[in-house]
Amino acid sequence: MQVKVQAESGKMDVNQAKQEHLLALKVMRLTKPTLFTNMPVTCEDRDLPGDLFSKLMREDPSTVKGAETLMLGEMLTLPQNFGNIFLGETFSSYISVHNDSNQIVKDILVKADLQTSSQRLNLSASNSAVAELKPECCIDDVIHHEVKEIGTHILVCAVSYTTQMGEKMYFRKFFKFQVLKPLDVKTKFYNAETDEVFLEAQIQNITTSPMFMEKVSLEPSIMYSVMELNTVSTGEEGVSTFGKMSYLQPMDTRQYLYCLKPKPEFAEKAGVIKGVTVIGKLDIVWKTNLGERGRLQTSQLQRMAPGYGDVRLSLEQIPDTVNLEEPFDITCKITNCSSERTMDMVLEMCNTNSIHWCGVSGRQLGKLNPSSSLSLTLKLLSSVQGLQSISGLRLTDTFLKRTYEYDDIAQVCVVCSHLNPDS
Amino acid sequence: MDSNNIETQEPNLSLDMSENVDSMKNTDISSEEQLLEPPEILFQDESIDLGGENFTTPQEQPILENILYKLSDQMMESVIISDSPNNSEDDAGQMEGLQDVLEQCEAGEESLLNLSTETKENTESINDTSDFEIPEKSQKDFQSVSTVNEDINCKDGSKVDESSSQLAVADSILSNSTNQKIEEPTSKKSPKDEAIPVCTIFSQVNNLPKIQGQSLKPDGFEPAIVKSPSFGSSFETPNRLLPLMCQPSPSLSKFFADNGQSNPASDFFDSFTTSSSFISVSNPNANQSNSSVPEGLSSVSSSVLSTPQESATPAFYFGESLSQPTPSNVTPTFSQLQAAFTGTDDPFATALNMSEVDRRYDAWLPSEETRKTLISIATLQYNSVLNKEKLTMPGLKFDNLQGDAVRDLMLRFLGEQAASKRQALTANSVEQSFLGLKQLISTKNWRAAVDLTGRLLTAHGQGYGKSGQPTSHTTDSLQLWFVRLALLTKLSLFQNAELEFESFGNLDQPDLYYEYHPCVYPGRKGSMVPFSMRVLNADLPQYLGKPQESLDRLHTMKTVCTKILDNLENGLAEDGSMINILQENRQACWFTRQTSIQLWRSRLCRVMYSMANCLLMMKDYVLAVDVYHSIIKYEPSQKPQLLSGIGRIFLQIGDIKRAEKYFQDVETDFKTKGNDPNQNTVVLMNRAFVYLSQNNYGDAHSSFSEVLRIDPTNPVANNNAAVCLLYLGKLKESLKQLESLVQQDPSHYLHESVLFNLTTMYELESSRSMQKKQALLESVACREGDSFNIQCLKLM
Repeated sequence: MQVKVQAESGKMDVNQAKQEHLLALKVMRLTKPTLFTNMPVTCEDRDLPGDLFSKLMREDPSTVKGAETLMLGEMLTLPQNFGNIFLGETFSSYISVHNDSNQIVKDILVKADLQTSSQRLNLSASNSAVAELKPECCIDDVIHHEVKEIGTHILVCAVSYTTQMGEKMYFRKFFKFQVLKPLDVKTKFYNAETDEVFLEAQIQNITTSPMFMEKVSLEPSIMYSVMELNTVSTGEEGVSTFGKMSYLQPMDTRQYLYCLKPKPEFAEKAGVIKGVTVIGKLDIVWKTNLGERGRLQTSQLQRMAPGYGDVRLSLEQIPDTVNLEEPFDITCKITNCSSERTMDMVLEMCNTNSIHWCGVSGRQLGKLNPSSSLSLTLKLLSSVQGLQSISGLRLTDTFLKRTYEYDDIAQVCVVCSHLNPDS
Repeated sequence: MDSNNIETQEPNLSLDMSENVDSMKNTDISSEEQLLEPPEILFQDESIDLGGENFTTPQEQPILENILYKLSDQMMESVIISDSPNNSEDDAGQMEGLQDVLEQCEAGEESLLNLSTETKENTESINDTSDFEIPEKSQKDFQSVSTVNEDINCKDGSKVDESSSQLAVADSILSNSTNQKIEEPTSKKSPKDEAIPVCTIFSQVNNLPKIQGQSLKPDGFEPAIVKSPSFGSSFETPNRLLPLMCQPSPSLSKFFADNGQSNPASDFFDSFTTSSSFISVSNPNANQSNSSVPEGLSSVSSSVLSTPQESATPAFYFGESLSQPTPSNVTPTFSQLQAAFTGTDDPFATALNMSEVDRRYDAWLPSEETRKTLISIATLQYNSVLNKEKLTMPGLKFDNLQGDAVRDLMLRFLGEQAASKRQALTANSVEQSFLGLKQLISTKNWRAAVDLTGRLLTAHGQGYGKSGQPTSHTTDSLQLWFVRLALLTKLSLFQNAELEFESFGNLDQPDLYYEYHPCVYPGRKGSMVPFSMRVLNADLPQYLGKPQESLDRLHTMKTVCTKILDNLENGLAEDGSMINILQENRQACWFTRQTSIQLWRSRLCRVMYSMANCLLMMKDYVLAVDVYHSIIKYEPSQKPQLLSGIGRIFLQIGDIKRAEKYFQDVETDFKTKGNDPNQNTVVLMNRAFVYLSQNNYGDAHSSFSEVLRIDPTNPVANNNAAVCLLYLGKLKESLKQLESLVQQDPSHYLHESVLFNLTTMYELESSRSMQKKQALLESVACREGDSFNIQCLKLM
């Protein structure tokens, strides 16, 4: 539901009130001008019209001289309608107050306010009155406003003046328009085994025109440092993963990928990154027709850190390929994630069909203070070939008599020893 | 419901007002759902999210017992774009005032609804949220706003109405003509009607010395003479042939032959021009005027059409007309002309030469099926009867366009008296010939020109309602079709053009090749359809919203062009056949082949331009840029224009950096090539566009003004400088500049784009734009033809 506010709309309004008012108020939205395109229809000299068509095209001022068949000309044309306006774009408008009468009008004050659903902004460049306006003269103002809200906006233009008779006059006009949402942003987090977080952001152009994405960057929150993964470096210059397409067609979606690393000071304390954390926000700058600019930020992106419960078992080291029936080592890290409770741990190892633990099950690991961790190396072997899942670790906190089960903590590829080239 | 679909909302930010009430309901459901979730991930803020996407996620979520896995494979989460950065700086205190936001949300929702329905309530709701006071009176104003809006809507609607009414008009024309069609059989049955001589164009030269030069220029018009089928028919009377050399129409040549050489051609044309619209099918006078056609003429000419088999050895005569391309032909009387023709000394050489040119221009590679048909015709000597479906049977599909929109507007706004002053040429006011046609085209009376082609085609037996009936094709009839369809396209009457193009199929039917008519065009090969008509046929679908079809056709054309170029570069003829080269002619052959290569290169370029333009219309910028880029290889002289054009494409997308790179390339190209007179203009113009894209209208304006210092009459720079002034808030100055241009140099500035800008500014300037627009209409009326696009005056 787009409302057009073009010059003539103002005109109509004023015509009704013309008897009363000496001044006319006109408003025109200044979107960027467009380049005129012509439609080349050509013939060869041997054809019936001879050189007539090419002569007509050469004489047409809108064609490109020397390359008349090039459709995109150089002639600028003014915006033909109100168009759409999107959140983050700049609303520019020409406001013209013209003295239609044949008498001098005094003390003219033109005020332009923008009423949104939450606030009212004054957009006029100056708030001082113009002393007098002669017939056929006009007061011009170009207003700009970066649109920060979605939904209905009303431009309220108020004009007050004094007639020659000393009569104070006042009128105002309203121009309503809708601000639409330009982009649809969806995010997805991937938690790596390490504390890294990968953020995938899908940005969809939901306007009706192509959009050049000038900048899409992630401003990380204080806890993280960010690395953009949207260029492939070949040689000295990085090539965009989007190839030659620097722009997004209407309804097209593009995926941006970022890798976030907790800063060391936060990563050290395992307890800190837990629960919901603020990751940062996306800052998006785009441009459309002839450099019409828009900028948006998302709200703070939040991530649910994986819930590790009280005790976290993570893998520090594991081979990717092992030989059948040959023992290999894995290194685990056990962290006490609780805030104030010291734990006393017992480790049990249960064999599965394929994985056999080597060593003593049920050994004491000793006391583990809050937010501290310990590493331990475990030996095991597999009796079955193929991709095997490592399962069967059990930690029991003897204070609370609570058992934590760890299955499917990692996979290894088990191969027959004489096929493994390494051995 | 995925536990991670969490959305936060800042208190200061407004809610998505565009959501409707339904989504509010959704929210309720979602918050219920969320209650079932573990408490730690339930956020107060969630209820604010009005986005619908979240609620569809559950079924997409794969069911996995492992929480870890689940977390890392969560679904895409839609993010609220808070607002622009400046507004969202204060991230602190997010949780506060949530209640307020909710309330505002509700109020806002309400106000939104109200805004679209009742203004009075709306003002109240706005009062709730802010100090927005609207006095009683302004409520009325408010109402008026909405009425204005409605008015604008209506305006849009009325445009639709307008076009639909145009359709209705077209309909009525059609129905009119169908009415006529019923009458047609009676009026059309007599053979004389079919034989109305039309292609009489060239003989007129003799009567009108002032335009002689134009039509007899050696710039390739002679070939048209030579192409005429009249030669086939005239062999039976070789001794009478000479004076007829420049009357290519079979009927006309007979006309002169029968009436003797002393008969001045003007007699004939008098009869033609006085019966103004005697060909028009729908014209009620048609019957009447038909009777005014000399009896003898029609009967004879129809017999000519039926005697093509007599052809013998025509080549000699081709040469004779060609060998006299220059002033000697311009002699006003027939006897002199005759003398000139008999003076030709080497007809054979010129004939050879001629066929060379024909071959080059007419070359085309038919589809395999068509090629076989053509071969079988060539080997059988006589026309084997083809299936009707395989024949091309065109006919006019609609009647006269007539009408002059400028005049209609004058009648409406300036009164009858002013309208009567309008003097645009019509189909009736010019000669009923190619010459008159050219006159109409060059004076931009394209509607009238379309009408005239209609008459000429009717005379050729391809008039209204003739579609689907067997007919004979000549070079001239196809040229007429091309002009007609090209003009319809220029007039943006795409539907009409498409309708009439239909019967030509894919322009590959056997009867559209010269080989199909061995008797009329003995020895001639190639396509009767002009190359430009193929381009037009390929271009057309994109204007009707079928760009893919355009691309298909253009690619087919490109393949043929490339194949022909390959053949030529391999020393073969265009169609891939071997050329027998005599030793002494080697030099000449090399030369002709180079000419041919040049021609086909330019044709390939034309096709590529069309492809790029089409891709640009489809907004497939990457491919469009690629194609434009590849044209540079073939047309190095257009490199600056093409590179600048690509730069402008990038500006249009918004990629200013890349545009600047292309503009830089233009400058380096100029530097390496040395002095080019347009160098500074192009460079400055490009710079101005970059400034413009950086919102720097001041510098853009000064760059355009600098162009004007070098080239004061540059219409583009003038117009663009004026546009910049408006964006700088200098309406009056801008208007003054454009106005003075239009007044001082109307030939350059009465252009759609300039007038559109001017009328837009008039509307912005004052309430008296109507008078000013009408003044523009008057100056348009003095200079422009009936093809002027009146929309740009915005009088309606």
